Amino acid sequence: MFNARQHRLIAVLAVVALGVAACESGDDDDSASDSGSEDESGSGSGTVEEGETIKIAFSAPGADHGWLAAITENAEEEAAKYDDVEFVLLEGTNDSAAQVSQVEQLMAEDPDALVILPHEGGPLTPVALEAMEQGIPVINLDREFSTKSAYRTWIGGDNYGIGVSAANYLAEQLDCQGNVVEIQGLAGISVTEQRSAGFADTIEQLCGDGIQIVAQQPADFLPDKGLEVMETILQAEPDIDAVYTHDDDMAMGVVSAIENAGREDEMILTGAGGSREAMERIEQGGLYSATFLYNPSMSASAVRVARLIALGEGFEELAEPEVPSRIELTATTVTQDNVDQFIDLGF
Amino acid sequence: MSTDALDTSETAAETAATAPAARAQRRIQLQEAALPVVVVALLVAGTIADREQFLTRDNLLTVLTQASVTGVVAVGMTFVIATGGIDLSVGSVLAAAAVAGGLAGEQQSLPFLLGAIGFALLLGLVNGVAIAYGRIVPFIATLAMFAGARGLALWMSDKTPISLLQLDFVRELGRGRVAGIPYAALVFVAVTAGGWVLLNRTRYGRHVIAVGGNREAARMAGVRPQRIVCSVYVLSGLCVGIAAVLLSGRLGSASPVAGNLLELDAIAAVVIGGTSLAGGRATITGTFLGVITFGLLFNLLNLLDMPTELQQLSKGVIILAAAALQRRDR
Repeated sequence: MFNARQHRLIAVLAVVALGVAACESGDDDDSASDSGSEDESGSGSGTVEEGETIKIAFSAPGADHGWLAAITENAEEEAAKYDDVEFVLLEGTNDSAAQVSQVEQLMAEDPDALVILPHEGGPLTPVALEAMEQGIPVINLDREFSTKSAYRTWIGGDNYGIGVSAANYLAEQLDCQGNVVEIQGLAGISVTEQRSAGFADTIEQLCGDGIQIVAQQPADFLPDKGLEVMETILQAEPDIDAVYTHDDDMAMGVVSAIENAGREDEMILTGAGGSREAMERIEQGGLYSATFLYNPSMSASAVRVARLIALGEGFEELAEPEVPSRIELTATTVTQDNVDQFIDLGF
Repeated sequence: MSTDALDTSETAAETAATAPAARAQRRIQLQEAALPVVVVALLVAGTIADREQFLTRDNLLTVLTQASVTGVVAVGMTFVIATGGIDLSVGSVLAAAAVAGGLAGEQQSLPFLLGAIGFALLLGLVNGVAIAYGRIVPFIATLAMFAGARGLALWMSDKTPISLLQLDFVRELGRGRVAGIPYAALVFVAVTAGGWVLLNRTRYGRHVIAVGGNREAARMAGVRPQRIVCSVYVLSGLCVGIAAVLLSGRLGSASPVAGNLLELDAIAAVVIGGTSLAGGRATITGTFLGVITFGLLFNLLNLLDMPTELQQLSKGVIILAAAALQRRDR
């Protein structure tokens, strides 16, 4: 009758109702206090099992949007597949200092490997170095530490490559002629800069002045911001051939703006990341024509890599007996032609 | 521009409580005269900078539509600030309300509307009760809700947006037009008008100002301050619920990350409009103009494809200028 998410709503309603009732019954006296209805934690600390197993500790920023949520989930699910892996997870915060103390806490548990997706690479580097010095191999996921000696292996996506793939795709689709709008992520972070630079450089190389980037605005990876920014750009630009967006979630707002204006037949749009919703739209065809993978499955790979490193093994397919020090994932172009291969990886 | 003057022909007791407020209210005049000048200046600058697109009916309606979410929230915020309070939770509550609506009615519009507005009202009530009866400082109580409601939104939605594409009525409300005017813009204007009447033409509005001006005097005049204080947060919740419906309609989905930094935009609009953060004087007209000022600024700089830092910089300058004006005024 109700699905799991609806149950949560009902639970919240019950708690709030009780809390408010309790407070209001005290009406004008001073004793009433706020109910505990406001905070609600997701999953708490990770599972701790006993036995002689490989202990992998995991730390990532707070899962406040689809991609980061998938990062944490994928890591947890992957670890659960192995009987010999004990997975310790602390739900992250979006604060580098807090993450540093979190990593310290994890180090105290003496794990066999430590997987870290730092909120910011720089501030987390010292604590990662310390872990390495203590002999705990650190697997650096996605955002990089400022020195190579802070990790045993780095694994991550290719932000510049997303821009390159998008430019290649759009250059081909538009025959190097037309007006492109770029909806960027959060201004001032390396992810945004690299996705933007990769695109601009490649478009320039391939098409010269044939393709113009007529508008370039950040929308902070947020769908509602994407909607607002695109609404205005649609006013300003009577002739748009393609929209390059830096993120699939954000792109949904951009798509709404274009559809609300009834201009979905005029242009094509590309995303980035590889969300399930985006891939479903690509499958249907139409406005949303491609996305470029920056797949959160990388955290599952990181757990596998961590396990191999702890066991002192390498990849079977490689001649070398140990895991390489850098693994960069490909920004695969996903279109209607190949979406069926990737849709199960969608987050 | 309309004068948000107070009608003081009520009972003697009430007059006693509201007289200082009425005097304060008159001081708003200068700022209310200054803001239209800013708006006109923006319109002129926009027309010069972008002859083709800016001053078209279509674009101005877009500005009004885009401003609708912040605008509706700012009306509620005006009442909160009028009592000397603050509501930092509006952005998070907006997301939580949208998600609650989406869970209540993924297929039908009515459950969505009831769910979204009802949940926003409920969270507003929690704020109100915590502040009025729990005696928690508004900044802290709504800061707690700011964090808590965002957590709720993410948790209830499982961190994924809920598609509302099947809700024809809600979609229509967000993107549809009547006689060429977007519904969202109409709702914004209607809520503003309603807020103006409530603040300036009703006993309730006078009580809100009185409580913000001098709580003790108001109490002695027979106003029940706790009730008034509690009610403004519920009112703010109502406005946030309406805004959640408008935004979800335009987005076609209920997003748990929506409304990020909305509280700051709403507070900024209210403050440059001339409502005093200390409470006791408030102007809906000013709030409306404040919202329009930021809306035009965003639209214009975006039309010209200016870098985002310039938008933030100009916003800062406007807020500072308005605050300076308020200071000299005092």
